[in-house]
Amino acid sequence: MSDSSNQIEICFEINGRQVTQTVPVRMHAADFLRHQIGLTGTHLGCEQGICGMCTISVDDRPVKSCLMLAVQLDGAKVRTVESLAPDETELHPLQAAFKRHHALQCGFCTPGFLMLARSFAGRRMNRAEIAEEISGVLCRCTGYEGILRAIEEWLPGTWTDASLSDEAGQ
Amino acid sequence: MKASDFLYHRPESVPQVLGLLRDYAGGARILAGGQSLMPMMNLRLWRPAALIDIGRIPDLERLEQKGDVTILGPRFPYWRIENDRVIAERLPLLARMVRKVGDRQVRNRGTIGGSLVQADPTGEMPLGTLILGATIHAESIRGRRAIPVEQYFLGSYATAIEPDEMLVAVEYPRHPAYFSFAEVNRRHNDFAVVSVAVAGDRAADGTWHNLRIGLGGVDETPVLALAAMRRGEGTLLQAPDIAQMGILAAEHIDPPDDFRASADYRRHLTRVHLTRVLGSMLASAGFREE
Ligand SMILES: Cc1cc2nc3c(=O)[nH]c(=O)nc-3n(C[C@H](O)[C@H](O)[C@H](O)COP(=O)(O)OP(=O)(O)OC[C@H]3O[C@@H](n4cnc5c(N)ncnc54)[C@H](O)[C@@H]3O)c2cc1C
Ligand code: FES
Ligand code: FES
Repeated sequence: MSDSSNQIEICFEINGRQVTQTVPVRMHAADFLRHQIGLTGTHLGCEQGICGMCTISVDDRPVKSCLMLAVQLDGAKVRTVESLAPDETELHPLQAAFKRHHALQCGFCTPGFLMLARSFAGRRMNRAEIAEEISGVLCRCTGYEGILRAIEEWLPGTWTDASLSDEAGQ
Repeated sequence: MKASDFLYHRPESVPQVLGLLRDYAGGARILAGGQSLMPMMNLRLWRPAALIDIGRIPDLERLEQKGDVTILGPRFPYWRIENDRVIAERLPLLARMVRKVGDRQVRNRGTIGGSLVQADPTGEMPLGTLILGATIHAESIRGRRAIPVEQYFLGSYATAIEPDEMLVAVEYPRHPAYFSFAEVNRRHNDFAVVSVAVAGDRAADGTWHNLRIGLGGVDETPVLALAAMRRGEGTLLQAPDIAQMGILAAEHIDPPDDFRASADYRRHLTRVHLTRVLGSMLASAGFREE
Protein backbone atom coordinates (compact mmCIF):
# COMPACT_ATOMS: atom_id res chain seq x y z
CA MET A 1 0.00 0.00 0.00
CA SER A 2 1.59 3.26 -0.98
CA ASP A 3 -1.36 5.37 -2.12
CA SER A 4 -2.41 8.42 -0.21
CA SER A 5 -5.96 9.16 0.73
CA ASN A 6 -7.35 10.62 3.90
CA GLN A 7 -8.89 7.36 5.07
CA ILE A 8 -6.94 4.16 5.14
CA GLU A 9 -7.86 0.61 5.97
CA ILE A 10 -5.67 -1.04 8.58
CA CYS A 11 -5.58 -4.55 9.95
CA PHE A 12 -3.98 -5.25 13.32
CA GLU A 13 -4.20 -7.40 16.42
CA ILE A 14 -5.68 -5.80 19.52
CA ASN A 15 -5.60 -7.68 22.83
CA GLY A 16 -5.59 -11.01 21.04
CA ARG A 17 -8.23 -10.35 18.37
CA GLN A 18 -7.74 -9.40 14.76
CA VAL A 19 -9.43 -6.17 13.67
CA THR A 20 -9.83 -4.44 10.30
CA GLN A 21 -10.94 -0.80 10.35
CA THR A 22 -10.87 2.29 8.19
CA VAL A 23 -9.16 5.23 9.92
CA PRO A 24 -8.65 8.89 9.12
CA VAL A 25 -4.92 9.34 8.54
CA ARG A 26 -4.65 12.32 10.88
CA MET A 27 -6.06 10.40 13.86
CA HIS A 28 -3.53 9.35 16.49
CA ALA A 29 -3.52 5.84 17.87
CA ALA A 30 -4.91 6.77 21.31
CA ASP A 31 -7.99 8.50 19.87
CA PHE A 32 -8.47 5.58 17.53
CA LEU A 33 -8.37 3.00 20.33
CA ARG A 34 -10.70 5.05 22.49
CA HIS A 35 -13.24 6.31 19.97
CA GLN A 36 -13.23 3.73 17.21
CA ILE A 37 -12.34 0.53 19.04
CA GLY A 38 -14.10 1.59 22.24
CA LEU A 39 -11.18 0.78 24.54
CA THR A 40 -11.25 3.79 26.87
CA GLY A 41 -8.73 2.38 29.35
CA THR A 42 -5.97 4.19 27.46
CA HIS A 43 -6.02 7.75 28.76
CA LEU A 44 -4.94 11.04 27.24
CA GLY A 45 -3.32 13.89 29.12
CA CYS A 46 -1.06 16.13 27.10
CA GLU A 47 -1.11 14.70 23.56
CA GLN A 48 2.45 15.88 23.15
CA GLY A 49 4.43 12.98 24.52
CA ILE A 50 5.16 14.26 28.02
CA CYS A 51 2.74 12.66 30.47
CA GLY A 52 2.70 8.98 29.46
CA MET A 53 -1.03 8.50 30.19
CA CYS A 54 -1.47 7.01 26.71
CA THR A 55 1.22 4.32 27.08
CA ILE A 56 0.30 1.07 25.32
CA SER A 57 2.28 -1.91 24.09
CA VAL A 58 3.00 -2.14 20.35
CA ASP A 59 4.88 -5.24 19.19
CA ASP A 60 5.85 -5.86 22.82
CA ARG A 61 7.33 -2.42 23.45
CA PRO A 62 5.72 0.30 25.54
CA VAL A 63 5.13 3.44 23.47
CA LYS A 64 3.10 6.63 23.76
CA SER A 65 0.04 6.19 21.59
CA CYS A 66 -0.56 9.93 21.19
CA LEU A 67 2.73 10.03 19.25
CA MET A 68 1.70 7.32 16.80
CA LEU A 69 -0.78 7.55 14.00
CA ALA A 70 -3.52 4.97 13.94
CA VAL A 71 -2.33 3.98 10.46
CA GLN A 72 1.02 3.03 11.97
CA LEU A 73 -0.72 0.26 13.89
CA ASP A 74 -1.31 -1.56 10.61
CA GLY A 75 0.07 -5.08 11.00
CA ALA A 76 1.07 -4.55 14.64
CA LYS A 77 0.33 -6.50 17.78
CA VAL A 78 -1.24 -4.04 20.21
CA ARG A 79 -1.96 -4.46 23.92
CA THR A 80 -3.88 -2.00 26.08
CA VAL A 81 -4.65 -2.03 29.79
CA GLU A 82 -7.80 -4.00 28.97
CA SER A 83 -5.59 -6.99 28.13
CA LEU A 84 -4.34 -7.41 31.70
CA ALA A 85 -7.18 -8.73 33.89
CA PRO A 86 -8.29 -12.26 32.92
CA ASP A 87 -11.96 -11.46 33.61
CA GLU A 88 -14.34 -9.04 35.32
CA THR A 89 -13.66 -10.37 38.80
CA GLU A 90 -9.96 -11.15 38.83
CA LEU A 91 -7.05 -8.72 38.66
CA HIS A 92 -3.75 -9.27 36.90
CA PRO A 93 -0.98 -9.82 39.51
CA LEU A 94 0.48 -6.41 38.66
CA GLN A 95 -2.90 -4.75 39.18
CA ALA A 96 -3.33 -6.65 42.45
CA ALA A 97 0.06 -5.37 43.62
CA PHE A 98 -0.98 -1.80 42.72
CA LYS A 99 -4.12 -2.27 44.79
CA ARG A 100 -2.26 -3.69 47.80
CA HIS A 101 0.30 -0.88 47.82
CA HIS A 102 -2.11 2.00 47.23
CA ALA A 103 -0.25 2.72 44.01
CA LEU A 104 -3.20 4.80 42.80
CA GLN A 105 -5.47 7.49 44.13
CA CYS A 106 -7.44 9.07 41.29
CA GLY A 107 -6.24 6.30 38.98
CA PHE A 108 -5.90 8.45 35.90
CA CYS A 109 -2.23 7.53 35.42
CA THR A 110 -2.67 3.85 36.30
CA PRO A 111 -3.18 2.41 32.78
CA GLY A 112 0.05 4.09 31.69
CA PHE A 113 2.05 2.73 34.62
CA LEU A 114 0.56 -0.75 34.22
CA MET A 115 1.38 -0.98 30.53
CA LEU A 116 4.90 0.35 31.10
CA ALA A 117 5.61 -1.87 34.13
CA ARG A 118 4.15 -4.92 32.38
CA SER A 119 7.05 -4.70 29.92
CA PHE A 120 9.55 -5.20 32.78
CA ALA A 121 8.40 -8.82 33.25
CA GLY A 122 11.37 -11.16 33.52
CA ARG A 123 13.89 -8.41 34.24
CA ARG A 124 15.86 -8.01 37.43
CA MET A 125 15.77 -4.38 38.44
CA ASN A 126 16.61 -2.56 41.63
CA ARG A 127 14.56 0.33 42.93
CA ALA A 128 16.69 2.97 41.25
CA GLU A 129 16.38 1.19 37.92
CA ILE A 130 12.62 0.90 38.27
CA ALA A 131 12.38 4.61 39.12
CA GLU A 132 14.46 5.42 36.04
CA GLU A 133 12.35 3.20 33.78
CA ILE A 134 9.01 4.65 34.92
CA SER A 135 10.08 8.26 34.45
CA GLY A 136 8.00 8.46 31.27
CA VAL A 137 4.67 8.35 33.11
CA LEU A 138 3.66 11.12 35.50
CA CYS A 139 1.51 10.77 38.61
CA ARG A 140 0.12 13.83 40.35
CA CYS A 141 -1.38 11.98 43.33
CA THR A 142 0.70 9.22 44.85
CA GLY A 143 4.25 10.54 45.08
CA TYR A 144 5.35 7.33 43.28
CA GLU A 145 6.27 5.45 46.46
CA GLY A 146 3.37 3.00 46.26
CA ILE A 147 3.95 2.52 42.54
CA LEU A 148 7.60 1.62 43.14
CA ARG A 149 6.66 -0.79 45.95
CA ALA A 150 3.98 -2.47 43.83
CA ILE A 151 6.36 -3.03 40.91
CA GLU A 152 9.13 -4.22 43.24
CA GLU A 153 6.80 -6.77 44.79
CA TRP A 154 5.36 -8.02 41.49
CA LEU A 155 8.62 -8.32 39.56
CA PRO A 156 10.17 -11.45 41.19
CA GLY A 157 7.01 -13.41 40.38
CA THR A 158 7.77 -12.86 36.69
CA TRP A 159 11.22 -14.43 36.82
CA THR A 160 10.98 -17.72 35.00
CA ASP A 161 13.85 -20.12 34.45
CA ALA A 162 14.33 -18.59 31.01
CA SER A 163 14.50 -15.04 32.31
CA LEU A 164 16.96 -16.04 35.05
CA SER A 165 19.43 -17.18 32.43
CA ASP A 166 18.92 -14.02 30.37
CA GLU A 167 19.05 -11.08 32.70
CA ALA A 168 19.72 -8.51 30.01
CA GLY A 169 16.21 -8.35 28.53
CA GLN A 170 14.67 -5.14 27.34
CA MET B 1 -4.84 19.27 20.28
CA LYS B 2 -5.05 17.20 17.13
CA ALA B 3 -2.93 17.30 13.99
CA SER B 4 -4.40 19.11 11.01
CA ASP B 5 -5.13 17.01 7.95
CA PHE B 6 -2.43 15.76 5.62
CA LEU B 7 -1.89 13.17 2.92
CA TYR B 8 -0.24 9.97 4.02
CA HIS B 9 2.23 7.94 2.00
CA ARG B 10 3.93 4.72 2.95
CA PRO B 11 6.47 4.07 0.23
CA GLU B 12 8.33 0.80 0.02
CA SER B 13 11.69 2.04 -1.18
CA VAL B 14 14.07 4.98 -0.85
CA PRO B 15 13.68 6.02 -4.53
CA GLN B 16 9.92 6.31 -3.93
CA VAL B 17 10.60 8.55 -0.92
CA LEU B 18 12.88 10.75 -3.01
CA GLY B 19 10.26 11.03 -5.74
CA LEU B 20 7.62 12.09 -3.23
CA LEU B 21 9.96 14.63 -1.62
CA ARG B 22 10.56 16.17 -5.03
CA ASP B 23 6.86 16.18 -5.94
CA TYR B 24 5.86 17.97 -2.74
CA ALA B 25 8.68 20.49 -3.11
CA GLY B 26 9.20 21.04 0.61
CA GLY B 27 5.58 20.49 1.64
CA ALA B 28 6.09 16.92 2.87
CA ARG B 29 7.88 15.57 5.89
CA ILE B 30 9.36 12.18 6.54
CA LEU B 31 7.82 10.31 9.47
CA ALA B 32 10.42 8.19 11.29
CA GLY B 33 9.91 7.57 15.04
CA GLY B 34 7.48 10.47 15.30
CA GLN B 35 8.85 11.51 18.70
CA SER B 36 9.45 15.09 17.58
CA LEU B 37 7.21 15.24 14.54
CA MET B 38 4.01 14.07 16.26
CA PRO B 39 4.18 16.52 19.19
CA MET B 40 4.81 19.36 16.73
CA MET B 41 1.85 18.29 14.62
CA ASN B 42 -0.46 17.68 17.57
CA LEU B 43 0.36 21.20 18.75
CA ARG B 44 -0.20 22.46 15.18
CA LEU B 45 3.19 24.11 15.19
CA TRP B 46 3.77 22.13 12.01
CA ARG B 47 1.12 21.47 9.36
CA PRO B 48 2.84 19.49 6.60
CA ALA B 49 0.78 18.83 3.47
CA ALA B 50 1.91 15.23 3.51
CA LEU B 51 3.74 12.68 5.62
CA ILE B 52 6.03 10.10 4.11
CA ASP B 53 6.13 7.17 6.52
CA ILE B 54 9.47 5.36 6.13
CA GLY B 55 8.50 2.77 8.74
CA ARG B 56 8.05 -0.08 6.28
CA ILE B 57 11.06 0.39 4.06
CA PRO B 58 13.30 -2.63 4.55
CA ASP B 59 16.94 -2.24 5.54
CA LEU B 60 16.76 1.25 7.05
CA GLU B 61 17.63 -0.18 10.49
CA ARG B 62 20.88 -1.67 9.30
CA LEU B 63 24.19 -1.65 11.14
CA GLU B 64 27.25 -2.12 8.94
CA GLN B 65 30.82 -2.69 10.05
CA LYS B 66 33.61 -1.87 7.61
CA GLY B 67 36.93 -2.15 9.38
CA ASP B 68 36.93 0.63 11.97
CA VAL B 69 33.95 2.34 10.37
CA THR B 70 30.41 1.79 11.64
CA ILE B 71 27.41 2.80 9.51
CA LEU B 72 23.90 3.19 10.88
CA GLY B 73 20.77 3.25 8.76
CA PRO B 74 18.49 6.28 9.28
CA ARG B 75 15.86 4.34 11.21
CA PHE B 76 18.35 2.71 13.59
CA PRO B 77 16.39 3.03 16.83
CA TYR B 78 17.51 4.53 20.13
CA TRP B 79 16.69 1.32 21.98
CA ARG B 80 19.20 -0.58 19.88
CA ILE B 81 21.87 2.07 20.41
CA GLU B 82 21.18 1.51 24.10
CA ASN B 83 21.26 -2.30 24.07
CA ASP B 84 23.11 -3.57 21.01
CA ARG B 85 26.37 -5.37 21.80
CA VAL B 86 28.03 -4.18 18.60
CA ILE B 87 27.20 -0.56 19.45
CA ALA B 88 28.49 -1.06 23.02
CA GLU B 89 31.79 -2.17 21.52
CA ARG B 90 32.12 0.16 18.55
CA LEU B 91 30.23 3.34 19.56
CA PRO B 92 30.22 3.24 23.37
CA LEU B 93 29.88 7.02 23.68
CA LEU B 94 26.51 6.89 21.88
CA ALA B 95 25.37 3.96 24.03
CA ARG B 96 26.21 5.97 27.14
CA MET B 97 24.59 9.20 25.92
CA VAL B 98 21.38 7.68 24.59
CA ARG B 99 20.29 6.74 28.10
CA LYS B 100 19.75 10.45 28.68
CA VAL B 101 17.34 10.80 25.75
CA GLY B 102 13.73 11.13 26.87
CA ASP B 103 12.26 8.10 28.57
CA ARG B 104 11.71 4.42 27.83
CA GLN B 105 8.75 4.99 25.52
CA VAL B 106 10.54 7.74 23.58
CA ARG B 107 13.61 5.52 23.16
CA ASN B 108 11.41 2.69 21.92
CA ARG B 109 10.34 4.80 18.91
CA GLY B 110 12.97 7.49 18.29
CA THR B 111 15.65 6.98 15.63
CA ILE B 112 19.17 8.22 14.93
CA GLY B 113 18.09 9.77 11.62
CA GLY B 114 15.14 11.57 13.16
CA SER B 115 17.22 12.99 15.97
CA LEU B 116 19.93 14.24 13.59
CA VAL B 117 17.41 15.92 11.28
CA GLN B 118 15.53 17.37 14.25
CA ALA B 119 18.89 18.79 15.46
CA ASP B 120 17.79 19.88 18.88
CA PRO B 121 20.60 22.11 20.24
CA THR B 122 20.53 20.07 23.45
CA GLY B 123 20.14 16.69 21.76
CA GLU B 124 22.40 13.87 22.88
CA MET B 125 22.77 12.11 19.53
CA PRO B 126 23.63 15.32 17.67
CA LEU B 127 26.37 16.04 20.25
CA GLY B 128 27.69 12.46 20.23
CA THR B 129 27.72 12.39 16.44
CA LEU B 130 29.63 15.69 16.33
CA ILE B 131 32.25 14.44 18.80
CA LEU B 132 32.75 11.23 16.89
CA GLY B 133 33.35 13.15 13.65
CA ALA B 134 30.71 11.30 11.66
CA THR B 135 29.71 11.78 8.04
CA ILE B 136 26.03 12.27 7.25
CA HIS B 137 24.85 10.79 3.95
CA ALA B 138 21.93 12.51 2.28
CA GLU B 139 20.16 11.58 -0.91
CA SER B 140 17.70 13.26 -3.25
CA ILE B 141 16.57 12.79 -6.79
CA ARG B 142 19.51 15.03 -7.67
CA GLY B 143 22.00 12.55 -6.23
CA ARG B 144 23.78 11.51 -3.09
CA ARG B 145 26.23 13.54 -1.03
CA ALA B 146 28.33 13.13 2.10
CA ILE B 147 28.22 15.93 4.66
CA PRO B 148 30.97 16.11 7.32
CA VAL B 149 29.24 16.56 10.67
CA GLU B 150 31.21 19.77 11.32
CA GLN B 151 29.28 21.32 8.41
CA TYR B 152 25.97 19.64 9.12
CA PHE B 153 24.36 21.58 12.00
CA LEU B 154 23.45 25.05 10.75
CA GLY B 155 21.37 26.44 13.61
CA SER B 156 18.71 25.70 16.14
CA TYR B 157 16.73 22.81 14.60
CA ALA B 158 18.38 23.54 11.25
CA THR B 159 20.69 21.27 9.28
CA ALA B 160 22.35 21.03 5.88
CA ILE B 161 19.65 18.54 4.78
CA GLU B 162 17.63 20.16 1.99
CA PRO B 163 13.82 19.84 1.89
CA ASP B 164 14.03 17.33 -0.97
CA GLU B 165 16.71 15.24 0.74
CA MET B 166 16.51 12.19 2.93
CA LEU B 167 19.15 11.30 5.49
CA VAL B 168 20.09 7.79 4.36
CA ALA B 169 23.05 6.83 6.56
CA VAL B 170 25.34 8.00 9.34
CA GLU B 171 28.93 6.89 9.06
CA TYR B 172 31.08 6.86 12.19
CA PRO B 173 34.88 6.59 11.90
CA ARG B 174 36.96 4.70 14.45
CA HIS B 175 35.81 5.52 17.97
CA PRO B 176 38.54 6.96 20.23
CA ALA B 177 39.68 4.64 23.00
CA TYR B 178 38.47 6.82 25.87
CA PHE B 179 35.44 9.03 26.44
CA SER B 180 33.29 10.57 29.12
CA PHE B 181 29.99 12.39 29.25
CA ALA B 182 27.95 14.45 31.71
CA GLU B 183 24.80 16.46 31.46
CA VAL B 184 22.85 18.79 33.71
CA ASN B 185 19.05 18.64 33.65
CA ARG B 186 16.48 20.56 35.63
CA ARG B 187 14.17 17.56 35.78
CA HIS B 188 14.89 13.88 35.34
CA ASN B 189 15.26 13.13 31.61
CA ASP B 190 14.40 16.67 30.60
CA PHE B 191 16.28 18.28 27.73
CA ALA B 192 19.80 19.17 28.86
CA VAL B 193 20.68 22.59 30.28
CA VAL B 194 24.30 21.89 29.43
CA SER B 195 25.94 18.69 28.26
CA VAL B 196 29.61 17.96 27.89
CA ALA B 197 31.21 15.02 26.10
CA VAL B 198 34.88 14.26 25.53
CA ALA B 199 36.78 11.57 23.68
CA GLY B 200 40.41 10.90 22.90
CA ASP B 201 43.29 8.47 22.58
CA ARG B 202 46.22 8.13 24.92
CA ALA B 203 49.70 7.32 23.67
CA ALA B 204 52.14 4.99 25.47
CA ASP B 205 53.94 8.02 26.93
CA GLY B 206 50.70 9.20 28.53
CA THR B 207 50.02 12.11 26.19
CA TRP B 208 46.50 12.62 24.78
CA HIS B 209 45.69 12.81 21.08
CA ASN B 210 42.70 13.19 18.77
CA LEU B 211 41.00 15.00 21.62
CA ARG B 212 37.40 15.93 20.88
CA ILE B 213 35.41 18.10 23.25
CA GLY B 214 31.78 18.88 22.54
CA LEU B 215 29.20 21.04 24.29
CA GLY B 216 25.42 20.90 24.05
CA GLY B 217 22.90 23.51 25.16
CA VAL B 218 25.39 26.38 24.99
CA ASP B 219 24.64 27.57 21.45
CA GLU B 220 22.19 27.13 18.56
CA THR B 221 23.87 23.83 17.70
CA PRO B 222 26.12 21.39 19.50
CA VAL B 223 29.63 22.85 19.29
CA LEU B 224 33.21 21.68 19.48
CA ALA B 225 35.26 23.50 22.12
CA LEU B 226 38.08 24.12 19.68
CA ALA B 227 40.26 26.32 21.92
CA ALA B 228 40.10 23.75 24.71
CA MET B 229 40.79 20.92 22.28
CA ARG B 230 43.92 22.66 21.00
CA ARG B 231 45.05 23.39 24.55
CA GLY B 232 44.75 19.74 25.57
CA GLU B 233 46.12 18.07 22.44
CA GLY B 234 49.43 16.34 23.09
CA THR B 235 49.46 17.12 26.82
CA LEU B 236 49.29 14.71 29.75
CA LEU B 237 45.99 16.34 30.79
CA GLN B 238 47.42 17.25 34.14
CA ALA B 239 45.43 19.33 36.60
CA PRO B 240 46.66 22.72 35.26
CA ASP B 241 45.91 21.64 31.67
CA ILE B 242 42.40 20.63 32.61
CA ALA B 243 41.75 23.79 34.61
CA GLN B 244 42.82 25.94 31.67
CA MET B 245 40.76 23.92 29.23
CA GLY B 246 37.70 24.50 31.38
CA ILE B 247 38.31 28.24 31.38
CA LEU B 248 38.93 28.33 27.61
CA ALA B 249 35.76 26.38 26.88
CA ALA B 250 33.66 28.71 29.04
CA GLU B 251 35.26 31.82 27.48
CA HIS B 252 34.59 30.78 23.90
CA ILE B 253 30.86 30.17 24.15
CA ASP B 254 27.94 32.54 23.94
CA PRO B 255 25.23 30.55 25.72
CA PRO B 256 21.52 31.43 25.73
CA ASP B 257 19.75 33.11 28.61
CA ASP B 258 16.42 31.35 29.06
CA PHE B 259 13.98 29.87 31.54
CA ARG B 260 16.18 26.81 32.05
CA ALA B 261 19.31 28.73 33.03
CA SER B 262 21.07 32.07 32.67
CA ALA B 263 24.01 32.49 30.31
CA ASP B 264 26.38 32.94 33.24
CA TYR B 265 25.18 29.81 34.91
CA ARG B 266 25.62 27.85 31.67
CA ARG B 267 29.17 29.16 31.38
CA HIS B 268 29.84 28.12 34.96
CA LEU B 269 28.38 24.65 34.34
CA THR B 270 30.49 24.27 31.21
CA ARG B 271 33.72 24.96 33.05
CA VAL B 272 32.88 22.76 36.04
CA HIS B 273 31.59 19.83 34.02
CA LEU B 274 34.32 19.92 31.43
CA THR B 275 36.95 19.64 34.16
CA ARG B 276 34.98 16.77 35.70
CA VAL B 277 34.49 14.77 32.50
CA LEU B 278 38.14 15.21 31.57
CA GLY B 279 39.00 13.93 35.03
CA SER B 280 36.76 10.93 34.63
CA MET B 281 38.11 10.17 31.13
CA LEU B 282 41.60 10.24 32.63
CA ALA B 283 40.52 7.95 35.45
CA SER B 284 38.97 5.54 32.92
CA ALA B 285 42.41 5.35 31.24
CA GLY B 286 43.81 4.22 34.60
CA PHE B 287 46.48 6.91 34.44
CA ARG B 288 47.47 6.47 38.06
CA GLU B 289 48.98 3.05 37.51
CA GLU B 290 51.69 4.14 35.12
C1 LIG C 1 8.91 13.30 26.09
C2 LIG C 1 10.04 13.49 25.14
C3 LIG C 1 11.32 13.71 25.64
C4 LIG C 1 12.39 13.86 24.78
N1 LIG C 1 13.62 14.06 25.33
C5 LIG C 1 14.68 14.18 24.52
C6 LIG C 1 15.99 14.33 25.07
O1 LIG C 1 16.19 14.35 26.29
N2 LIG C 1 17.02 14.46 24.19
C7 LIG C 1 16.85 14.43 22.83
O2 LIG C 1 17.81 14.51 22.10
N3 LIG C 1 15.62 14.29 22.29
C8 LIG C 1 14.54 14.16 23.10
N4 LIG C 1 13.29 14.01 22.53
C9 LIG C 1 13.14 14.04 21.05
C10 LIG C 1 13.46 12.66 20.47
O3 LIG C 1 14.84 12.45 20.57
C11 LIG C 1 13.01 12.44 19.02
O4 LIG C 1 12.85 11.07 18.87
C12 LIG C 1 13.98 12.77 17.94
O5 LIG C 1 14.32 14.13 18.08
C13 LIG C 1 13.35 12.54 16.58
O6 LIG C 1 13.55 11.22 16.10
P1 LIG C 1 12.32 10.45 15.45
O7 LIG C 1 12.85 9.21 14.82
O8 LIG C 1 11.26 10.28 16.45
O9 LIG C 1 11.93 11.44 14.26
P2 LIG C 1 10.56 12.10 13.82
O10 LIG C 1 9.87 12.76 14.95
O11 LIG C 1 9.79 11.13 13.02
O12 LIG C 1 11.15 13.20 12.83
C14 LIG C 1 11.83 14.35 13.32
C15 LIG C 1 12.19 15.25 12.13
O13 LIG C 1 13.17 14.63 11.30
C16 LIG C 1 12.66 14.43 9.97
N5 LIG C 1 13.20 13.14 9.55
C17 LIG C 1 13.15 11.95 10.25
N6 LIG C 1 13.86 11.01 9.62
C18 LIG C 1 14.39 11.59 8.50
C19 LIG C 1 15.24 11.13 7.45
N7 LIG C 1 15.71 9.87 7.42
N8 LIG C 1 15.57 12.00 6.46
C20 LIG C 1 15.11 13.27 6.48
N9 LIG C 1 14.31 13.77 7.45
C21 LIG C 1 13.96 12.93 8.45
C22 LIG C 1 11.17 14.50 10.11
O14 LIG C 1 10.57 14.87 8.91
C23 LIG C 1 11.02 15.54 11.20
O15 LIG C 1 11.17 16.82 10.67
C24 LIG C 1 12.19 13.83 23.36
C25 LIG C 1 10.92 13.60 22.84
C26 LIG C 1 9.84 13.43 23.72
C27 LIG C 1 8.48 13.19 23.15
S1 FES D 1 -1.18 11.91 26.24
FE1 FES D 1 0.41 10.81 25.29
S2 FES D 1 2.09 11.37 26.49
FE2 FES D 1 0.54 12.64 27.32
S1 FES E 1 -3.17 8.34 40.87
FE1 FES E 1 -3.85 10.28 40.26
S2 FES E 1 -2.38 10.83 38.79
FE2 FES E 1 -1.57 9.01 39.55
